[in-house]
Amino acid sequence: MERTVTHVALFAALIAVLGLVPKIDLMAGVPITAQSLGIMLCGTVLGARRGALAVLLFLLLVAVGLPLLAGGRGGLGVFVGPSAGFLIGFPVAAFVAGLVVERWRVPVGPAAFAGAVLGGIVVLYAFGIPGMALVLGKTLPEAALLATPFLAGDLIKAGLAAVITAGLANVRPGALLSRN
Amino acid sequence: MDISGIRLSGACYAPAGKAVLSDISLTLDEPRIGIVGRNGSGKTTLLRLMAGLVRPTAGIVRVGGLDPAADRKAMLGRIGILFQNPDHQIIFPTVEEELAFGLRQQGRAEAEARALARDLLARQGRAHWAGAAVQTLSQGQRQWLCLMAVLAMDPATILLDEPFAALDLPSAARLARRLDGLPQQVVIVSHDPRVLERMDRVLWLEGGRLVADGPAAQVLRAFRAEMDRLGEADADTDLAG
Amino acid sequence: MLTLTSPVETRAHRVPAGLKLAGLAVATTGLVQMHGAAVGGVLAGVVVLYLALGPAFARHGLAMLRPLWPFLLVLALWHGWTGDWARGAEIAGKMLAAVALANLVTMTTRLDDLIAVVERLARPLARLGLDPRVMAVAIALALRFTPVLFWRTGQLMEAWRARSARRPGWRVVLPAVLLALDDADHVAEALRARGGL
Ligand SMILES: Nc1ncnc2c1ncn2[C@@H]1O[C@H](COP(=O)(O)OP(=O)(O)O)[C@@H](O)[C@H]1O
Ligand SMILES: [Mg+2]
Repeated sequence: MERTVTHVALFAALIAVLGLVPKIDLMAGVPITAQSLGIMLCGTVLGARRGALAVLLFLLLVAVGLPLLAGGRGGLGVFVGPSAGFLIGFPVAAFVAGLVVERWRVPVGPAAFAGAVLGGIVVLYAFGIPGMALVLGKTLPEAALLATPFLAGDLIKAGLAAVITAGLANVRPGALLSRN
Repeated sequence: MDISGIRLSGACYAPAGKAVLSDISLTLDEPRIGIVGRNGSGKTTLLRLMAGLVRPTAGIVRVGGLDPAADRKAMLGRIGILFQNPDHQIIFPTVEEELAFGLRQQGRAEAEARALARDLLARQGRAHWAGAAVQTLSQGQRQWLCLMAVLAMDPATILLDEPFAALDLPSAARLARRLDGLPQQVVIVSHDPRVLERMDRVLWLEGGRLVADGPAAQVLRAFRAEMDRLGEADADTDLAG
Repeated sequence: MLTLTSPVETRAHRVPAGLKLAGLAVATTGLVQMHGAAVGGVLAGVVVLYLALGPAFARHGLAMLRPLWPFLLVLALWHGWTGDWARGAEIAGKMLAAVALANLVTMTTRLDDLIAVVERLARPLARLGLDPRVMAVAIALALRFTPVLFWRTGQLMEAWRARSARRPGWRVVLPAVLLALDDADHVAEALRARGGL
């Protein structure tokens, strides 16, 4: 019980830190926020249930006014803005990423990559694109077009999530709660 | 004075087969006890065993006749532990919440726990700390907060893990004075023999085994001689485990 | 931790948090169904509301809308190209008004008050097995460890730079995850040392 609560709380803090740490450039010179990498890792490392709870806790802190989203954003405004769909999709994305790693018994790296792509991209965009369409008054295909520039970065992040999760399984096998 | 009577018999701790502590048998009744040993000798693990934070993999640990790992609620009033790193101990973002938590755990209502916490701070001349964010406190202040949080629960025995290691000289002197005045049984772990000189009894751990147990002067003299001998020899090339 | 609550104390700070949140819900729902000039009217009303709380406060409020500029740019380009300016203005107005209203609640409500509302709203969830006390501890822990983890991740990056000419980049993420996992174990032990949850 205690460990569940502390893991959920510490990973909520980790998502915040990955969005705040100035200039983690994922590719040389391109400062992409590592925050959605944090969402993917919540699922692939903690597993479906704890991962989703960590993300929910993070969103709760954002909602009550902490500037923890990348770029120092936060408060209630972000939940009615054009990115609201992505935020609502965050916990589901972590859940799906975790579920894939828990259930699909192939080596950790490929499972984490599949989970990160399915949760952190497919599921996340399935929430984010309708949100953008709604707020910006566009059709779904139009909104999807607006989201495509982010696809490349998100694929890189899914790859990193896989590398990091596999690395973790390597240095600290017991720590990968999604596989224990 | 109410002495909790910590008893270990044949206690071993060997997670995943790696022997961290081997065959420790002890009865601790003296008011001031020191545990000395080199880094990695198993001192912290011995404290965690006594506090009931881990179970022995063989043998028995009893505090006041109870199993500390099983009877967590009963241990709240028996054993308090101060971790080496205050940042691993402080749970809450503000001083008052941190102090109130243990009191809540002992069954007091939220408002009462908060009032007691503020009262405790006021008696120490630190009423203005109540709403302070813990990360604004210095290392020594954070350790003081951990000690207060433990003392607020009024345990019969207090276990301290390397309490002086990270303190500057004035903070260390203040802490030593504070500990001297406590009515509780106090067990202090340290790799530095200087801080254990005034203990009633000192235990020396080496490689997870008890190698000496007796009056402070005698055990610490032997410990120092051995440390000097090791210091003469060449580096530390052994790998643990 | 730094919050987005405005340090400029206004009258709106004294309105109960629950009331402000309920008002926000009603206003946002109404806004979604509006069209044309009505949206402009609401936006003007929001501007007046901000200005009534003081110029410093209004400036701060404007700064909080800055992250929306890429979306405004997209709308401008899009509707400039289709020539449907009126529709573009309506969409932009709705977006700005909705976000500004929500920000207004955030800026005028203290963190503690909002957390108290959250805890009150979560109380019915106790029946589904979510202990409100456990939730309060989880919130407190996350508040406590965000700055701690932030600081230590910064130290990791510094240690990296001390021995490398290149920036650490994504490679600090694995050690940061390890820090989070280790802290989680230590704090779980601290909780157990004081009676557990
Ligand atoms: N759960 C564990 N699993 C494996 N090794 C452990 C565990 N706990 C402690 N150890 C190892 O046991 C040794 C003694 O640790 P510790 O009690 O922390 O020593 P000390 O406090 O005297 O420095 C160390 O080498 C440590 O790495
Ligand atoms: Mg130690």
